[in-house]
Amino acid sequence: MQTGINFSTYKDQILEGMYAKTSIAPLVVFRIIFGFMMFASTLRFWSKGWIDSLFLQPDHFFHYYGFHWVKPLGDFGMYAVFTLLLISSLCIALGLFYRFATVAYFILFTYVELVDITNYLNHYYFISLVAFLMCFLPAHRSLSFDLARNPKIALNEISNWPIYLLKFQLGLVYFFAGVAKLNTDWLLDAMPMSIWMQSKAHWPLVGSFFTEKWVAYGFSWLGCVFDLTVVFFLLSKRYRIPAYAVLVIFHVITGFMFPIGMFPWIMILTTLIFFSSDFHEKVVIFIYSKLNVKVGPSIEYNSLILHGFKRKILTFFIAAYVFFQLLFPFRYLLYPGDLFWTEQGYRFSWRVMLMEKAGTAFFYVTDPETGRKGEVDNSQFLTPTQEKMMATQPDLILQYAKIIAEEVESKGLKNPIVNAEVYVTLNGARSKLFIDPEVNLVELKDHLKHKDWILER
Amino acid sequence: MKKVLRLATVVGLLMGFSSCDSEKPTDGVTYTDLFEQTADHIIIPGYAQFQSDLSALGADFTAFDASDVQSLEKLQDQFKKAYLSWQSVSSFDFGPAAEFSALLLSNCNSFPTNISKIEDHIQSGSFDLDVPSNYEAKGLPALDYLLFHTSQSELLSELNDSSRINYIRDCIADMQTRVDAVVEAWDGYRAEFVQSSGNDRSSSLSLLFNTFLYDYEQVKRNKFALPSGFATQYGIPISADNSAVEGHYSNMSFELMDANLAALEKVYMGIGYDGVDGVGIYEKLKEYNAQSTVVDGDLASAIQEQFTACREAISAYTNDLSSEIENNNVNLTETSNTLQKLVPMIKNDMRSYLSVTVTSTDADGD
Repeated sequence: MQTGINFSTYKDQILEGMYAKTSIAPLVVFRIIFGFMMFASTLRFWSKGWIDSLFLQPDHFFHYYGFHWVKPLGDFGMYAVFTLLLISSLCIALGLFYRFATVAYFILFTYVELVDITNYLNHYYFISLVAFLMCFLPAHRSLSFDLARNPKIALNEISNWPIYLLKFQLGLVYFFAGVAKLNTDWLLDAMPMSIWMQSKAHWPLVGSFFTEKWVAYGFSWLGCVFDLTVVFFLLSKRYRIPAYAVLVIFHVITGFMFPIGMFPWIMILTTLIFFSSDFHEKVVIFIYSKLNVKVGPSIEYNSLILHGFKRKILTFFIAAYVFFQLLFPFRYLLYPGDLFWTEQGYRFSWRVMLMEKAGTAFFYVTDPETGRKGEVDNSQFLTPTQEKMMATQPDLILQYAKIIAEEVESKGLKNPIVNAEVYVTLNGARSKLFIDPEVNLVELKDHLKHKDWILER
Repeated sequence: MKKVLRLATVVGLLMGFSSCDSEKPTDGVTYTDLFEQTADHIIIPGYAQFQSDLSALGADFTAFDASDVQSLEKLQDQFKKAYLSWQSVSSFDFGPAAEFSALLLSNCNSFPTNISKIEDHIQSGSFDLDVPSNYEAKGLPALDYLLFHTSQSELLSELNDSSRINYIRDCIADMQTRVDAVVEAWDGYRAEFVQSSGNDRSSSLSLLFNTFLYDYEQVKRNKFALPSGFATQYGIPISADNSAVEGHYSNMSFELMDANLAALEKVYMGIGYDGVDGVGIYEKLKEYNAQSTVVDGDLASAIQEQFTACREAISAYTNDLSSEIENNNVNLTETSNTLQKLVPMIKNDMRSYLSVTVTSTDADGD
C-alpha cells in the first residue's frame, strides 16, 4: 500500500531527526533564560503584594475541576512556597541541583496555580508545561554548577528532541492563538480590538488614530497573521531574523498596550531557542569566557543515546504529549453552543486576548421554609477579582452558588435555594441574561458535560 | 513574502516607537480636567459645607436650652442640614477621608445605630469613641437617635441629664475633629489628586471610580434593600426591618437617600457647588462615544437617565421609607429593580470605558 509506505518513511524521518545529535547550547541557554525569568516573575509577584491579595485575603477559593482538594497553605505556608519558588528558579538558572530544582519548581508552581482558578492565565499554564518538560531534559549538563559538583556529567551534544519539544511548545502558543482568532468577531467585526483601541483614544499622538475603524481591523488581522505564521518563519533560516524582529516589536507593543505583565518579555527571550546552534554556542562560549572557567571534557554522545525498547518508550511518551497538546484545545467542539459565551473547553487552549467579556451577577438566597428571599452581597464572600472572574464563567457561577449554600447552611438555614441573575456583555454586544435565573444552582452537580442551564448567546 | 515582512516590520517599528513615546505621559493627561472640576468644585466645597454645618450644629448645641422647645427645634433642624450635607461627601472615601486619623465614613455614618450601646455609654460615662466597636454608637446615626427618638417634650426632659449632654457633645466634637483634619489635608492632597495619572489601584481615576461605585452600592443595599427585606447578611435572607433605615428617628430616610443620589449624580455630571456644569464622568463618556450594553445607545445619557429614574422612583412615595416598609408597599420591589439597573451600567460599562482595572494582577496576553 502506497500510503502505508509513505507513512512509515515519514515516521522514520521524524525519528531519525528526533534522535540525531545536536549541540546542547540552545537547551542550556534556554534553561538559564527560563530560570532567571521565573525568578524575576516570582520576585515581581511577591513585590506587588499578590501573595497576600490572592492567597491570604480571600475567604473562599475557586477550584479546578477535580482539584478541590488543593488548598492554600496560610500565611507562613504561602510565603514558604514562594521562597522555595525563588530558590528553585535560581537553581534552575544556575544549573545547581537541577533535577531536584526543576521538579520542585514544577510542583510548587502548579500547586500555586491550582489554588484558585480565578487566577488562571494561559501563560501560567505555559510555564507549568515548560517546567514539566524541563524536569526530563538534560539542560544542566553544560554551563552549570552541577558540572562543578560532578564534572563527569559534562555533555556537548544531545539528541534533537528536547529542543524540538520546546520549540513545539512555544510554537503551539502562537499558532493556536492565531487559530483562535479565526472567528467572525475578530476578523469581520474587529472585536474586541475596537473596544481596546477606543479605551486608548486619549493617548497622545496616536490616540485619535486608535479610534479609526481600519486601525482596529489592521491590528486584528496583523495579529492573527502574525500568530499563525511567526513560528514557520522562525523555523526557516532565511526569515528567522526578520521574523524575530517582528516578534519583538509585536510583544513590545502588546506589552505597552495591555496589562499582561511579564509575558511579552518571557516570550521574547524564550523564542531565542529558534536561533541556530552556532548562535547559542557563541553565547555559551561568551559566558564561559566571562566566568573565566575552562570547559572540561564531555562524555561521548553515543553513551547516552537510548536504543531499542527504551527508545520506543521515550518516543511513545513524546508522541503522546504532542498529540495531547494538539488535540486538547479542540475539545470545545464536543460542546454545543458558542465557545466564547459558554467557555466550555475554553481554558488550556492558548485563547489569549481574544474577547472582552464582563458580567454583573446578582445572587439570591431563598429560605424554603419561610419563603424569604434576599440578594447576596458578593463582597461579603469574594474579592473584587474573584467576583469579576466568576460573573462570566458558568462553572465558577456554580461553584459560587455552592459556596453561598455552604456558608448559609453552616449558619443554620437548611436547604437554601440559590438563584443567580447574571448579565453578561461579550465583545461590546448588549448585556444578556447568561444563565437560567429560575434554576436552583445548589441542586446542580458540577461536571464536564454540557451545562444546559446556560442560555443562548 | 519578503515584501510583506519588510512592510510589517516598518509598520511595526512605527507603531512600536509611537507607543513607546506615548508610554510616559499615557493615561491621566486628559483626566486632569475631570479631577480639577471634581476637587475644586465638588469635593473641597462639599467638605467645607459639611464642616460649617457641623460647626453650626456644635454652636447650636452649646447654646441649647433644655427648657426651650424652639432651641431644640433649631438643633434638630441644624442636625438635618448636617446629615444632608454629609451625603455630598460620603462617596469621597479615599485620600484624607480614608486616613486612619479620619476614617470619615465609618465614624460619621455607621447605621443602624446601636441604641443599647449608646445608652450604656451614657450611663457608665466611660467610653472610647475611637474604637471600631463604637462606630455603631456614634456619628450622625447616634445623634439621629439622641435628638429624635421620642417626643419633643420627652427629649427636653432627657436632655437635662448632663451625661447625655456630654455624650452628644463628644459625638459632635469627634466628627468635627475628623472633618477638620480632612479639610486641612485636602489642601495638600489636592495637587496629588489632580496630577495623578494612570489607572492602577492608587490612581485618582481608580479611587474616584471605586468609591463612586461603592457609595452607589451602599445606597442600593444599606439604605434601601437591607431595611426593605431584599438583602441577605452573609447569605442569610434578612426580613424587613424599618428601624434599619438611615435617619430612622428623624424620618428622613428617603430625603437622605435622594440627597446621596443627587450628590452622586452631580459627581457624574461634573456639576459643582457653584452650579457650574464642568467636566464630569458624563463628559468623558461622551468623548469616548461610549455605548451602553444594558440599554440601547449612548452610555453617558443612559446613566444620567437612570439616575433620574431612581430619584423619581423615590420621590413618588408619599411617606418615609420606614413607614412604606411597615405598610408593605408593593412598589418597593419595583424601586429595588430600578436601583439595580444602574449597577451594571457603572460596574461594567463605565468601568470598561474609563479603563479602571478590577484585577490588580496581570491579564492574559499574547
